[in-house]
Parts: sequence; structure tokens; C-alpha cells
Amino acid sequence: MSDPTSIDRATSEDVLRVRDLVVHFSGRRVAGRASTVRAVDGVSFEIARGEILALVGESGCGKSTIATSVMRLTQPTSGQILSGGEDLAKLRGAQLRRARRRIQMIFQDPFGSLDPRQSVFDAVEEPLVIHSVGATPEERRDRVMRALDFAHLRPPERLARAYPHELSGGQRQRVAIASAMVLGPELVIADEPVSMLDVSARSGILRLMVDLRDRLGVSYLFITHDLAVAWVVADRIAVVYLGRIVEIGPCESVVAAPAHPYTTALLAVTSEEDLPTEGDPSPTGSTEVLAGETPSAVNVPPGCRFHPRCPRYRTLGEPEVCRVSDPVLRAVSGNDGLVRECACHFPEGVS
Amino acid sequence: MNLLEISELSVDYGVSGGTVRAVDHVSLFVQEGESVGIAGESGCGKTTVGLAVPLLLPRNATVSSGEIVLDGHSLVGRSEAEMNRLRWKSVAFVFQGAMNALNPVLRIDRQIREAITRHEPEVSKAAATTRVMEMFDFVGVSPTRAKSYPHEFSGGMRQRAMIAMALVCRPRLLIADEPTTALDVISQSQILALLNRLRRDQGLSLVMISHDLAAIKRVCDRVVVMYAGVVVEVGSSHEVLGTQGRRARAAHPYTQALIQAHPDLRGERTLSEGLRGHPPDLSTPLVGCRFADRCPKVMALCRTTPPPTTEISPGHLAACHLLSSGPS
Repeated sequence: MSDPTSIDRATSEDVLRVRDLVVHFSGRRVAGRASTVRAVDGVSFEIARGEILALVGESGCGKSTIATSVMRLTQPTSGQILSGGEDLAKLRGAQLRRARRRIQMIFQDPFGSLDPRQSVFDAVEEPLVIHSVGATPEERRDRVMRALDFAHLRPPERLARAYPHELSGGQRQRVAIASAMVLGPELVIADEPVSMLDVSARSGILRLMVDLRDRLGVSYLFITHDLAVAWVVADRIAVVYLGRIVEIGPCESVVAAPAHPYTTALLAVTSEEDLPTEGDPSPTGSTEVLAGETPSAVNVPPGCRFHPRCPRYRTLGEPEVCRVSDPVLRAVSGNDGLVRECACHFPEGVS
Repeated sequence: MNLLEISELSVDYGVSGGTVRAVDHVSLFVQEGESVGIAGESGCGKTTVGLAVPLLLPRNATVSSGEIVLDGHSLVGRSEAEMNRLRWKSVAFVFQGAMNALNPVLRIDRQIREAITRHEPEVSKAAATTRVMEMFDFVGVSPTRAKSYPHEFSGGMRQRAMIAMALVCRPRLLIADEPTTALDVISQSQILALLNRLRRDQGLSLVMISHDLAAIKRVCDRVVVMYAGVVVEVGSSHEVLGTQGRRARAAHPYTQALIQAHPDLRGERTLSEGLRGHPPDLSTPLVGCRFADRCPKVMALCRTTPPPTTEISPGHLAACHLLSSGPS
């Protein structure tokens, strides 16, 4: 595990800067009126070289749409996606293809993301062919073998000939990592890369990803619903709720002293499951921290979008400001004295 | 009294070029009103044990030894017709990924009602509808949404609907295979809370199959840890999955490794070593302890002799040479 403070955010160069990203989908017509799904509703963040930023949130919060927009697999409605001096949101055709070499993606499902008729070698070589990297077959072969070795698929000569059905889930995800790494990207977007894996395979994949960052200096946008996973791999955590970042800051401070009530709730459900049962032989903890489902991104609540589910809103006697005014991200010094940004009218800590 | 008693169960799968013994002389029991977790990595046989109880094993599987006794009735060897009478009413099953098994073109209330009319043909349609609505309310989905189609529900709501369907014929035992695995943390927490409520309010007995030890710890009284087709440790969740200070209380090195593989928000911000390697190939003859190749504490004895089962405290048993002969 590397020292998460090793990245000097002030001087290091950002590999990605997302500014006011908005992704709206036109939904089905309801009562004669076109409805709009506000999947991503004004999101800004940056990722430094060699940094791991985790996007954490419930399903449907928009974290995967943020990822696919950065890859331009989804067309953003507005906003900037700045990388390598270009705005990816505006690129098309050949320029976009070239830019995509710098940004690669790893998907959640290692069973679905590999072609069953393609050998490991072919799967890892394919990006090189698509981007015309490597002048000769020998040069491409070298690169593929090196990528397999980097991904701990050893011996590479033997595993290169294997087909997906011969591999375990963890090995398949290593193949996905090798094909993402073979082009030498600056940024890898990993969408729930371990949530379909067994506990035992899980820690191996996480170690590999952190190890590749340490050795190659690659950055990650790491998407997960599991704060515990984010906490062990990420340098910074951004908590996403209904298409917005509600809290973003260094990993330790967001986990140890969360400022936003949604982060507090996410932590409570995660650590409730981890609760030590010393002296309590009957594990019947059944508190539901957050009642109800995430509201739909079609009907984003007015004011603070979290207020209908917010425990702090209720504790404070339902203040009007939460219902009418949409809070923006601002710097908050948490209870631990560390600064993070939080979008709440009543953050824990000092704003 | 034991509601479910599995003794010396072995299940073989016929595969090209031979058979694979997925479950090898497994014994476990579930008391009335008790909740038992079956834990282990994928491929350890935990799902096969679960499927064997309602005799829902795939065609290429055979029960080659052992007994399954549910509520005093021996199940192995029963005909499909006899089993159909017991399924849903005595034992119901929530399959892994079941929330994706709902029929996409039928409204959810109708699919749940079908479970009643199929298994209790004497119940009138009106009475069945009332029961479906009660069930919706009970699992925490507003009855006003009963007439929705599956795609209009979130993953968590679909999983609640599946649990409603499993419980609508009031079974005494529910077997749930990875009921929270595909859900996000908040939905997971809500489903686990629901299972605990069902146990408390309905006296439901539960077998929960999961690789998520935290989920098992939260819902189950006891846990059975399986590795490569055999039971390696069994005991109260408190003892097997709990910690004493920073140390796992588990007795078996495999259980300890499983516990350490979990990132822990309260612990150090480090990635554990995890479990290296893979479980053994079950189609080859196995000598000695099946975990020996991956065990950090392996001894010469482990490679030659299968470990005996040792009782560590009443009801807490583990199969490891370290517990019977080696240094503690």
C-alpha cells in the first residue's frame, strides 16, 4: 500500500478534469409531457497523475454514467472533460479514437466482458490492432506478453493460449486488466471491478490495481458501491447521490469524519455489517438507516436532493432551507480538522 | 427439534470424462426457528447443498450417499410429484440472481399469486390476491406497486418481491442463495434487516448461502464453512466469525483467511494478503487436508492424512490437524 499523501495535489498534473458534467436522457412521455432523466446533474472533479479517485454511491446514482461519459460511450449533455489538453466532450471521429488510447476501461462482469471465442492473446492484442500500435506481429506479441506478466497471468506463454472458459473469475478480470493496460493508458476507469468476484479473488485484484499504479503511475477512476473497498484502494473518495457529488475529500477524512449525512448513512450500513458481536451472541441488528429507495432521477426533489431521506433534516426540525435551496459543494473543515468539500446546508464540522 | 437434518450427504456431478464430487459427506442441521449460514468461496459446494434439500439439483447431479430429513420426512429418492407438494409449503428457495428470474412480461402480483394457485389450488383467487397484497406490505413494497412489471422495480425491490413469492405459501424453511450479492450496500442492508424481521415475527427457519461473511454474521445464529466440498468449520456465528481484539476467533486457517480477505473499515487501511492459489481440482483423487496447498500453517502430516474433526467448545467444531496434534 503506498502512502496516500505521496501525491502533491497542488503541483502534480491532472490527467483528467471534469467540469460541470451534465448527462440528461430523454425518458418516456408521462401525461403528455416529455420527462428527463437527470442521470448526471453538474459534476466536477479532477484526477492527478497516479491518483486513485473512488466514486461511491447507490445503484442508480449516476456513477456509471459519469464513467461512460468520460469514455464518451455516453454523449454528455453539457460540460467539459479535459484530458491531455483536449476537451473529450467535443471530440469526434479519429481525434476521439486517438484520445481513447489514453483512457481505458475495466467492467464489472469478467464473464460478460470477454469474447468466449477469443483466446487471451487475441483479447489483449485487440486494442493494439485497433489503435495500430506495434509495427510488427513480434512487437505486438512482446507487448501482450509484458501486459500478461504485469497482470500476474503467469506463465504468460501458457495463459496466452487459454480461452475464457478455462479461467477463474479472478483470472478473467486480470485479462481485462491486461487488455486495459497494454496500450499504456494514463487513466483507467474501473466500474465495480471486484463486485462480482469472490472474497479471495477480490483482494488479489485490488492489490494488482494498486501495484500497477505504484509501478506504472497510472491513475484510476474507481467506481464502487462499497465504501470499504474504496477505503482500502483510493486516495480520495467522491460520494455521489442522485447525479451530484455530495462530498469529496481525502479517503481518511471522508471515512473517519464524514461531513455529509448521506456519507454518514453509507458508512453506517457498511460498518453495521462489520459490527463486532463481542458480548452480543444474537446478531439481530435490524436498523434501517436510510428508509426507502433513492428517488428517481426523473423527479429530483427540490432544494437539497437528499432532504426527503435525510436523518439530519428531520433531527433539525425540517429547516426550510433544505427544501428550497440546492446546496453547492464548499470547503468544510471536518471534525478531524481536515478539509473536504461537502454539499450540505448543515455539514458536520466547520464551513 | 431439528427441522432439517442433512447427514453424510455426497453429490456427484457427471462431467465429460468422469465425475466430480462437489459435496463430500457433508452433515449439518437447522433447528426450528434457527438461521444457519453456509459460507465459502465459489465452487466449494455450498449452492449444491442448498439445491439438494428441495431436490432441485441439475440433471447431471446425483445424490450418491446420505440422508436429508425435513420435518421428519426423508427426502432423498422421493418422486418429483411428492417433492412438488413439499416445495414452497415446507421449503422455499430463493435462487442466486433470482431477482432477474421474474418473468418480464407478467405483472409481479400475478407471478406471486401463481405460486399460491399452483401449490394451494383450493384457495380462491380473491383470497390469493389478499395474501399477495399482505405479502407486499410485509416485505416493505407498497401494495400500490403490486401491478408493476419487473423492469419498473429496482434490484432491491425485485429481491423483496422474490422473497415475498418464496414466503407466500408460508414455508417453514427458507433457503436463500446469495440473496444480497448483486445489490448495493443500502439495498443489502435493507434485505438483511427484512430477513431478520421474518425470523423474529414469523419464526421462519433460514439457510443463507453466501460468500459474504458480514451478511451471514448479521443474520445467522450458526455458520457452516465449506471448502472444496467438505465442512471445515461449524459453530455459532459469534464464535466462528467474531473477533477478539484484532484477532479472528475462527479455529480453521481457511476461515481465518476468509475473514482477513474482507476490507475492514475499522481496521488498518491495508489490503490483506488474501487467499493465494485456487481450491483443488475435485475430479482428481484428494489425499490429506484439502486446504493444505493454500494453508499458511501447512505441516507434513496435512499432505498425507485427512484432518479429524475436533470440538473446540460445545457446538464449535473444526477439521484441522493443528487443533488435534500440532502447536496451538
